[in-house]
Amino acid sequence: MTIEPTAVIHDIGYRHYDGVRLGRGRATLALGVQSLRGVFGLGRTIRAKIMPLLLAAIMLMPTVVSIGVMALAKQFVMPYSQYAVFMQAVIAVFLAAQAPYLVAPDLRFRVLPLYLSRPLTVTDYVVAKLAALTVALFCLMAIPITIEFVGEMLIDMPMPLHTGDFLGALGGTVLRAVLLAALGVALASFTPRRGLGVAVVIAFYMFTAAVSGLFYAVLASTGRDDVAPWALLLNPFFLVDAVQSSLFGTEPATGEGYPPGVASCLILLAVIALAVTGVLLRYRKAAS
Amino acid sequence: MTASATPCFATEGLTKRFPRVTALDHLTVAAGTGVTGLVGANGAGKSTLIKILLGLVPPTSGSASVLGLDTATQGLEIRRTVGYMPEHDCLPPDISATEFVVHMAQMSGLPRTAARERAADTLRHVGLDEERYRPMGGYSTGMRQRVKLAQALVHDPRLVFLDEPTNGLDPQGRDDMLALIRRVGTEFGISVLVTSHLLGELERVCDHVIVIDGGRLLRSSAIREFTRAEQTIAVEVEEGQRQLADRLTGGGETVAVQGRLLTVQVSPDDPGRTYDAVRDAVSDLGLSLLRLEQRRGRIEDVFKEPVA
Repeated sequence: MTIEPTAVIHDIGYRHYDGVRLGRGRATLALGVQSLRGVFGLGRTIRAKIMPLLLAAIMLMPTVVSIGVMALAKQFVMPYSQYAVFMQAVIAVFLAAQAPYLVAPDLRFRVLPLYLSRPLTVTDYVVAKLAALTVALFCLMAIPITIEFVGEMLIDMPMPLHTGDFLGALGGTVLRAVLLAALGVALASFTPRRGLGVAVVIAFYMFTAAVSGLFYAVLASTGRDDVAPWALLLNPFFLVDAVQSSLFGTEPATGEGYPPGVASCLILLAVIALAVTGVLLRYRKAAS
Repeated sequence: MTASATPCFATEGLTKRFPRVTALDHLTVAAGTGVTGLVGANGAGKSTLIKILLGLVPPTSGSASVLGLDTATQGLEIRRTVGYMPEHDCLPPDISATEFVVHMAQMSGLPRTAARERAADTLRHVGLDEERYRPMGGYSTGMRQRVKLAQALVHDPRLVFLDEPTNGLDPQGRDDMLALIRRVGTEFGISVLVTSHLLGELERVCDHVIVIDGGRLLRSSAIREFTRAEQTIAVEVEEGQRQLADRLTGGGETVAVQGRLLTVQVSPDDPGRTYDAVRDAVSDLGLSLLRLEQRRGRIEDVFKEPVA
């Protein structure tokens, strides 16, 4: 008995593509989305998912505690505007772990020439990577405070809602995401080795945090109270906190006060501009 | 070879100087559709030429165009319609060939669904089967070269630049890759510019060959002209070599004895006559034929000729 084939595979040869070809913008968007997914380990191996998801979970823990305290003790303990400063070590570890993933493999495995042989420019590539990391950091920092705010709305508290503080914190989160993404990509893109990139970013954070704290302590103890607040701005998290409190009127996280708001804003802009320029120059060089 | 209306690419006095070295020196050359070979020793300027044609590196002087587009001002347009397979390794090890080629198709502007279809099609055409779902870190050199070729073809370009595609392959892999390149040029209808420092392998797949050395043009002509001059056939018989030689010479053929081999010059006007004469002579004399093969003039000879 012979079995009649129910399906036959035909070799129809090479077919040309005559569908739509999207522009540069859409290609950049696709790269950005792919990078953003990759930051959280989506579309990557299980091993690559552990770190970002674990850190994202840790970021939610103060939210859980805060909602618990609000529900049981009717007390507001965790101001939205100070969440990031409080959790700065976790955010810094996330940045150090994920920024090198975005840029190092393309340099190390020399994938960059393939991108540049397509209708993408160096600037498109850099914009996509910076945008992906910015959005990732924004989600990491904004989701916990948003959940906390929803919790505050749902729990009947004796005091009015901290809406102003929440919105100010969201504004500050945007600025912080942009600054950290620019710094992270700038530091990570200088080495094609991912491990080294992680070390450089975390070392940069620890160095700025330590130097900032040390200078502040020395200056304050020697009675130079007028200069001491400037030392705080060396830490990127306090720099953004200073800008946030001057632009959106939130409480300073240090309780010590910062130098005049305009100065903080200018420093923030200068640091972002410097980092982005550094990345662009780095990639112009890598491309040629 | 007649030049087509818009050449695949053309350069005019193209010069590229780096601080320490001149990569291209007043190169003026053009190539039509089909498979074009670009031959030169390492450092002859092949890769630099490709980068200029992609619009990624500006020339020091001179101009170049690809598919009628100016490389200096229309680089983006060029890169939309051409594909590029670099010489170096360019595959991240931790993702699969499918994911990688889909991503690269999207980077060329294909929507995601179209990118998926094209990637599957292209990987099949280059001969990558089930292994395309495995991470590329475990691939052999032959498989890696196929993926590199697939990412250059996935957006269905009109022209592909293949930089040393046979590099690092074993003889079998080399043959497969050359056959694939020939298919791209003929069956797929995509023009190809393929570089190699090995002259012999290009004559098997190219319609046209450009030879550069030290950034200067040595020769550019159709493959027929490279190989036409010295068409000979080699004949080896068990015994009676002398009889055969006498018989062929008597018939008006030009015969030379090289050890155990007889080389017979193929008549340029009537090649069939020579082949028939050899066949008839061997048959009539009742000799045991051991070997009968075509010998062609090799592209290597270009380097032996004085520069015109």
